[in-house]
Amino acid sequence: MINRRGVLALTLAGTLTLAACGGGGEKAESGGPVKITVWSWKPASDGLAAVAKDFEKANPNIKVDVQVIGNPAIWEKITVGMAAGGKGLGDILHIGIDYLPSYVDKFPGGLADLNKLGAGKYKDAFAKGLWPTVTGKDGGVYAMPWEVNPIGFFYRSDLFEKAGIDAAAIQTWDDAIEAGKKLKEKTGASLIGLNKPAAGSMDMDFYQSLLQQQGAFYFNQQGDVTLGSAPAVQAMTLIKKMNDAGIVADTSGEGTAKKLISSGKLAVLPWAAWAASYIPEMRPEQKGLWRVMQPPAVTSGGKRTAIVNSTHLAISGTSEHKAEAFKFIEYALTKPEVINKVFKEGGVFPALTAAYSDPMFSAPTEYFGGQPALKTFVDSLTEGADATFYSSDYARALKIASDAQTQVLTKGADPAATLATAAQQLAQQTGRKLAG
Amino acid sequence: MTLTMTRDAATRGGGSPRPHRPLITKRNIPYLLILPALLGFVSFKAYPILAALYISLTSGAGAARTFVGLDNYVRLVNDPLFWTALWNTALILVVQVPIMLLLALVLALGLNSPLLRLRGLWRLGVFMPSLTGLVAYGVMFSVILSKDSGLLNWVLGFFGVDAIDWLGSPFWARIAIVIALTWHYTGYNAVIYLAGLQSIPKELYEAAMVDGAGAVRRFWSITVPQLRPILLLTVVLSTIGTLQLFDEPFVITGGGPDNSTLTISLYLYENGFRYFDFGYAAAIAYALTLIVAGFGLLQLKLTGGKK
Repeated sequence: MINRRGVLALTLAGTLTLAACGGGGEKAESGGPVKITVWSWKPASDGLAAVAKDFEKANPNIKVDVQVIGNPAIWEKITVGMAAGGKGLGDILHIGIDYLPSYVDKFPGGLADLNKLGAGKYKDAFAKGLWPTVTGKDGGVYAMPWEVNPIGFFYRSDLFEKAGIDAAAIQTWDDAIEAGKKLKEKTGASLIGLNKPAAGSMDMDFYQSLLQQQGAFYFNQQGDVTLGSAPAVQAMTLIKKMNDAGIVADTSGEGTAKKLISSGKLAVLPWAAWAASYIPEMRPEQKGLWRVMQPPAVTSGGKRTAIVNSTHLAISGTSEHKAEAFKFIEYALTKPEVINKVFKEGGVFPALTAAYSDPMFSAPTEYFGGQPALKTFVDSLTEGADATFYSSDYARALKIASDAQTQVLTKGADPAATLATAAQQLAQQTGRKLAG
Repeated sequence: MTLTMTRDAATRGGGSPRPHRPLITKRNIPYLLILPALLGFVSFKAYPILAALYISLTSGAGAARTFVGLDNYVRLVNDPLFWTALWNTALILVVQVPIMLLLALVLALGLNSPLLRLRGLWRLGVFMPSLTGLVAYGVMFSVILSKDSGLLNWVLGFFGVDAIDWLGSPFWARIAIVIALTWHYTGYNAVIYLAGLQSIPKELYEAAMVDGAGAVRRFWSITVPQLRPILLLTVVLSTIGTLQLFDEPFVITGGGPDNSTLTISLYLYENGFRYFDFGYAAAIAYALTLIVAGFGLLQLKLTGGKK
């Protein structure tokens, strides 16, 4: 008993030091080609691996080794590597926006400042709202935007029709709640699904997108806690309204969400751009039933777009081949034809705005009933979304906000009071100020 | 053989011949024999333990580490989540350990019975759960405990019991952890008891039978007193194990819902590897160590285990 459970508690520091001994950082043999390693996860890594071959042909002196570390395993691996002073890290690291500020703030020097390698000239090349999030407090640029996920509103047109709802008339989330009540009555389907007790994993993307639509988040740009602010309360109140109206299905439990989707019990999936390829893969038999549009606004006339999250390529601060690594990043992420190949092979929506002029972004999608599905997202990005400041304490904020949502959804707690307590707790745990 | 020859050659080669002192003597051989274990202990246990103590007095990570004295410990005492974790752990401890040990004792008595056929098979079956890997275990229980399609709710359905939201309700999630723990570790304890039972001299039972003692009397007057040191061992081990509980909440509930199954070790892990707050995580580790040491001493005192 003691052996199985006990190892973890005390050997934390030891693990950190020792686990850093494996892998990475190979030196080039004199005269031979320089080898750079890339840490990523599937399926994005497939896209990168595909263009890495083209890159090697054009640059015979650089070899690119794309390693599939896996998500979420990659976060622990990067953490351990950085805690060990950068030993054993890959040269190029694929990092999500939810982790990037933590690495930048907590491990100074852990990631290379790409400004020094010439990243500055791409400042305006990516979708609006992204560049501020890759820029550190010291003005350094610590990653290049690769993937961006604007929010979408995927809905079952057949169910909407059956309930007599015109999707185009839904302008605000309050409209959507009224539509949801009708849907429930006529078709038995719930408007959306949430993992209410957060069993197994947290389900905060929807709540966050409601914040992001209002240009708000758990923190503001100064890093103060805004979890108790008016937009945060408004977003949680909307979710409570939906839940009280009985139009939020509980998706907790193994495979519950998939089951609800296949049996037509979920009318709307408030998912981001990645779902444009994921839904057709997951439910090929529901071809023609789904449509996508921009989500309704939180307040009438408010913003209907939001960037849910983004992922990037960064260079390890201890890499011995920073210049070569940046050359590859530049090749893969800043050329429309290359990033679109990455998109086709790896399914990640490009952050590079010049990429959107490719005809595939306005082409009709058969699965979505001939609707140009990707255009919805391109429109959102062109309209422009606000930057989201995840801060280095995002993981903590996420957990505390998720606990608050669970209390509201399962115990009927009052959103304002619950979030006020949560904000206080977050401030206390992180030593941050509550925003005024 | 070779050694001697080389040495001779060296002596002949030049220099004054000195009386040779053997490297291995009677005096140092015990130290040499424990050297590998000692090296392992120093590098894999002692160093991390001391490093963690230092880390617990610092804040930040990597290059940004600064000494903050006892700040982390002060924060710990004022952290409601730490007390929640402590409370959850205590609840699980008080409910689960007695149930598991009683069950293990019953199983061991059954397995030890001369009337039992296919004994090896039964013993293997009882011990098997302790060999199950963490991931397989987690997947298995999420399938068994699923609210709508889980095996357990399906079986309960035959008895007219409504579907229980095992992982979605704070109360049932704790029960789920207790069930999983009991499933995982009962066999392990049963095997320890079995070994204890087998070491009780048969003559004691024979003498008692001659004196006319019944089965119940024999159990209370011979089996229990004879098993006493082993009972104490399992109580201490299980208590320490439960205080350090991590696997089950990690793979089955993730500490939820609403922190109802958050344990101290899980909170430690979250702080270290999710929030990168190594200083605070190390402080939690030391607090846990103190609690475990305290419990261990208390149990030894109460049960007079020192004799």
